[in-house]
Amino acid sequence: MTYLQKMKGGGQSPPKVGLTEILWSWVGSFAGIAGVALIHYKILDQSGLMLILGSFGASAVLIYGAVRSPLAQPRNLLGGHILSAIVGVTACQWLGGTPWLAAAVAVSLSIALMHLTGTLHPPGGATALIAVIGGDSVHSLGYFYVVMPVALGAVVMLLVAVLVNNIPATRKYPEFWL
Amino acid sequence: MPKNTFALPPRVDISEQDVMQAMSTIQGYIDITPGDFREVYRAACSLAVKRLLTSLKAADLMTGTVHLVETEMPLVAAAALLAEKGISGAPVVDGDGKIVGVVSEKDFLREMGFVTTPSFMQIATHCLNDKSCMICRLRNKVVGDIMSRPPVTGSPEMTIGEISQLFQSREINRLPIVAADGRPVGIVTRTDLAHSFHRFAEGMEP
Repeated sequence: MTYLQKMKGGGQSPPKVGLTEILWSWVGSFAGIAGVALIHYKILDQSGLMLILGSFGASAVLIYGAVRSPLAQPRNLLGGHILSAIVGVTACQWLGGTPWLAAAVAVSLSIALMHLTGTLHPPGGATALIAVIGGDSVHSLGYFYVVMPVALGAVVMLLVAVLVNNIPATRKYPEFWL
Repeated sequence: MPKNTFALPPRVDISEQDVMQAMSTIQGYIDITPGDFREVYRAACSLAVKRLLTSLKAADLMTGTVHLVETEMPLVAAAALLAEKGISGAPVVDGDGKIVGVVSEKDFLREMGFVTTPSFMQIATHCLNDKSCMICRLRNKVVGDIMSRPPVTGSPEMTIGEISQLFQSREINRLPIVAADGRPVGIVTRTDLAHSFHRFAEGMEP
C-alpha cells in the first residue's frame, strides 16, 4: 500500500449503538459531569480551575459512552490524567518562557509517557495542555494541580462510572482495573 | 492499514460484513474498526489452526499393534494373514525387523494386471469373462516381489497436519510409524485419521 493509497481509508465505522446504550451514556455523563462541575463551582469556585472541566468532558465520552474501550478503563482514566498532569506542570515550569514550545512538549511527552505506561487516555492530552495554557491560577498551583483538580476530578468521574455503568444488564464496568 | 501477514483458508476466513453483523449483536460501542478486528481474527485464527494441526502426533493416532509381513513370505500366506486380520495392507520388514516396503491390495491388483484400482464387481466381471483368472499370477511369488518400495514412513513425532498432507500427496492409505532404528512401532491408517477428528472438539460445549 503506497503512501497516497493509505490516505483513501477504505475501512468502515463500527455499527451504531442502540437506544438503551445512548440513554445510559447520557445518564452516566450527566451524573459524572454534574459531580465534578458541582465540586468546582460550589467548592473551589476559582475561574482558572474551571478549564480542567474541558478535559473531563472528553473523559466522559469514553467512560460513559464507550465503556468497553481499553482507553476508558480505570488504569487509563486515572493514569492518563495524573501522568499527563505531572508532565504538563513540569513542561510549564521548565519551558514556560516559550509557551508554544511548552504546550507542544507537554502534550507530546504525555502521549509518549501514557503509551509507555499502558495508560493511554486521550483527555490526558488536554490535561497536560491546560497545565501550560491555563493561566496564572493554574500555574500558581504548581504540582498541586496534579492532585486537585486533576486526580480529585478523575476519581469522582470514576466513582460515578462504576456506580452508573453497572446498573443496566447490558453494561459492565470496568473491563479491568489495573 | 498494515499489511496482512496471515492468510487464512477461505473456510475459516471472515468478511468485514461478518464482523459488522457480529458486532451488532453485542451491546455497547465497540472501539475497533471491523477491518482491524478482522486482522486480529486472522492472526489469532491462523495461530489456532496451526495449534490444531500440531496438537495430535502420530504417537497419539497410531494403532500400536502392527501386523508385519516379511519379504520372503509367499503371497498366498500374506493374503491369508491380511484376510485373517481384516486389514488391507501391512508394512514389510526384512530379517532384522527393519521396514523395507509396504504391501497392500493395490500391489496385489497391480500384479494381477489392473492399472487403476478396480471395484470388486469389476474384478468379478473380469474373472467371469476370462477363463484363466489373473489371480493365478500371484501363486508363486513372495511379498518382496510386489511390495511398494521404498516405503513412505513417519516418525512418532509427526503431526496430524503433516500426516494428512502425506496421505494426500503420496496417495497412500496407511503410514507405518517407525522408530529411529527403522523398526515399525505403529501404523496410522485413514480410519485412524478420520476417528481423530472428534478429538479436536474435545472440551467444547455441545
